[in-house]
Amino acid sequence: MMSGRRVVVTGMGSVNAAATGGAAVVAEALERRPSTIAPLKAFDLGASTSRLAAEVEEAAFMAKLDPDSVRRLSRICRMTLAACRLAVEEAGLEGGERVGLVIGSEYGDFRSGSEFFNGFVSRGPAGLSPMLFPSTVMNSMAAVAAIVLGAKAPSVTFNQATIAGDVAVARAAALIAGGRADAVVAGGVDEIFSDVYRNLVRLGALSPMGGGLPEGCRPYAPDHNGPVLGEGATFLVLEEREVARARRAAIRAEVLGAAWGGIPVAPHTAPAGRRDTRAIARRALGQAGVEAGSLARCYGAGNGDPELDDWEVRLLEADGVRDPVSLAPLFGQHGGLGALRVAAAALDARAARPPTLVHGIARGGCRTALVIGPAV
Amino acid sequence: MTRVVVSGLGVVSPYGAGVKTFWTGLAAGDCVIRPLTVFDTSGFRSRIAAEVPAEALAALAASRRRSRADRMALAAAREALADADLAKPDRMDMALVVGAVGGGMLEGEAWYWGELGGPPPAPDIGALRSILPASHADMLAWRLGLGGPRESVVMACASGAASIALGGDLIRSGVTPLVLAGGVDAITRICFMGFNALKLLDPEPCRPFDRARRGMSIGEAAAFVVLEDVEHCRGRRGRALGELLGAGVTTDAHHVTAPHPEGEGMRRAMTAALAAAGREPGDIDYVNAHGTGTPQNDRVEALAMARVFGEGRVLVSSTKSLIGHTMAAAGSVEAAATLLALGHGLIPPTANLRDPDPEVPFDCVAQTARPAGLRAALSNSFGFGGQNVSLIFGR
Repeated sequence: MMSGRRVVVTGMGSVNAAATGGAAVVAEALERRPSTIAPLKAFDLGASTSRLAAEVEEAAFMAKLDPDSVRRLSRICRMTLAACRLAVEEAGLEGGERVGLVIGSEYGDFRSGSEFFNGFVSRGPAGLSPMLFPSTVMNSMAAVAAIVLGAKAPSVTFNQATIAGDVAVARAAALIAGGRADAVVAGGVDEIFSDVYRNLVRLGALSPMGGGLPEGCRPYAPDHNGPVLGEGATFLVLEEREVARARRAAIRAEVLGAAWGGIPVAPHTAPAGRRDTRAIARRALGQAGVEAGSLARCYGAGNGDPELDDWEVRLLEADGVRDPVSLAPLFGQHGGLGALRVAAAALDARAARPPTLVHGIARGGCRTALVIGPAV
Repeated sequence: MTRVVVSGLGVVSPYGAGVKTFWTGLAAGDCVIRPLTVFDTSGFRSRIAAEVPAEALAALAASRRRSRADRMALAAAREALADADLAKPDRMDMALVVGAVGGGMLEGEAWYWGELGGPPPAPDIGALRSILPASHADMLAWRLGLGGPRESVVMACASGAASIALGGDLIRSGVTPLVLAGGVDAITRICFMGFNALKLLDPEPCRPFDRARRGMSIGEAAAFVVLEDVEHCRGRRGRALGELLGAGVTTDAHHVTAPHPEGEGMRRAMTAALAAAGREPGDIDYVNAHGTGTPQNDRVEALAMARVFGEGRVLVSSTKSLIGHTMAAAGSVEAAATLLALGHGLIPPTANLRDPDPEVPFDCVAQTARPAGLRAALSNSFGFGGQNVSLIFGR
């Protein structure tokens, strides 16, 4: 078990390309596996070599919000709010001084930052919008969500490539275990924004990464050739087990182990030969008292990036874990994907299966491992 | 409970590079808020800031291909590790928690401006890839060989203090005995323009706690501390510069940019830090205030301090009056200032404070540093999003 207090999952909410809703909706999407990756519709791509994305329909999350109350909020803040609300409603959680919020994001509200800057470029100082400026700081989603949720314990935003949601959930569990909060709404969010998408293409960061194979998201496959960008927000309600029991919350799963670390490699690289001396996955399994061979499954961070996929497989093998499963083909690569993997693992736990490992690795070496199992 | 000490310190500030330079400037009460030179400020209400001197930046042992912020971060982090006298094997398990907001945005803005102004240039991979706040941590972990947990915390102007609070948690929960924690921010156009747009910048060097204060001044810096389990520090015969006695982290959940009018979240952060430290308000001899110089912040912070400590019951000063508001770095820069004040028995002054605001019922150590026997001190950092962090250090 994790050191300190025990941490359980009591709710989830997700806004993603496949579905928008709570546990039942996410479970149905995982079961049905609808095709979500399609030609991008939000903006014109011109002659771009990448054209696919897993987009979220505006109407899907706006249906969960009061349009008047969110009319001044950016799109990414709206997605965040919708997912957070779904999660706390499912958990029956009310805000307070012991309720925290942890958000992971790779790009944050880049759209507002770009609009703010463009105002200056086009009109000089008079074109700067004081309304937009706060959204240029990556904690703007947390700022908005904390107000709506009444989350008055720590509200922390982590910026992290590829595994932002994983980092957020792992750290949220630690905040509860260490006593800084009794409940934390934790997850990740990103949106597809034209400037980000186009420049990722120019950097060769999206499928087909400048190669000639067909564009697509094929994690761990021999012909993987890059990630396909997705978007959305997924949040879980994590709670200290006795607090959840006291308020008779429905406990869906327990965070049995949580470890995170960093392998010091050059930024933006994924050297498959580089080992993790701290054996993060093994460490998390040790906390959970689970043998690698007895896991129900492992959800990996594999997103089709060939170097990252291969590195992840090798790192997991070194920790005794084989055959990771990726959810990137269903939801696309985005900051909420890690939280979706944790949600999937929590749903696995409903069937009283053996625990599931949720693994994360990013270029640059940031690594996470969460062991999720039925609450004991 | 595990005790956490500070065993290393590194600072790059508007005074220049190094802790010694930093303390010399603070102790002298030298305000270095001057005309901004990093980019054109024509047409803005405020045109001043506290920059890291060009000659100091040029002398940093870091490639000029790196972003301005990365160069500052690397120099400050290296100084902290050297100060702690940590061997390479110690670093393999060492965690890294970096408070950041702007990332490499200064260089990213220049790239973006070029994109808008003419035909697309070839993608400058370096500028784009270091634009995000997390790029600092990835670079630092690689260059310094840090193999423990790695986190990039974005909590607006409380980021640097939050990195120390969260870093201390990693040690207390047994994740690792060593953490390099701190914050970094270089001056960026977005930040400068944004605070100008909000009319939160004083055209003159900021005057925290002064009746005539008109806003803040922007600054830039990087500051890192080595946090260490006291037993680990003893075991390797390390030197403790001070102790992180406790930290409080709270959220207002009130308004995106404005603090709670009664300072409710600020008060809770200070109270939580005192509880974590096992100290009473009367045990705190000095508060290094958030003290931005905006009319609203200073009034509300004073209200919150009065509720926690009682009016006039503690000495207060603002480092921002000397080196500006260094954004994501501010919390760690001011943690360093607080530790140095404890070590030297000298409280850095609040510069430019000539007419104390009667709504601030504290002795704010105006103009000149003051010797004082300090047992414990508290450092406040607050930010957009109602983020509140209070750190308590002891000798």
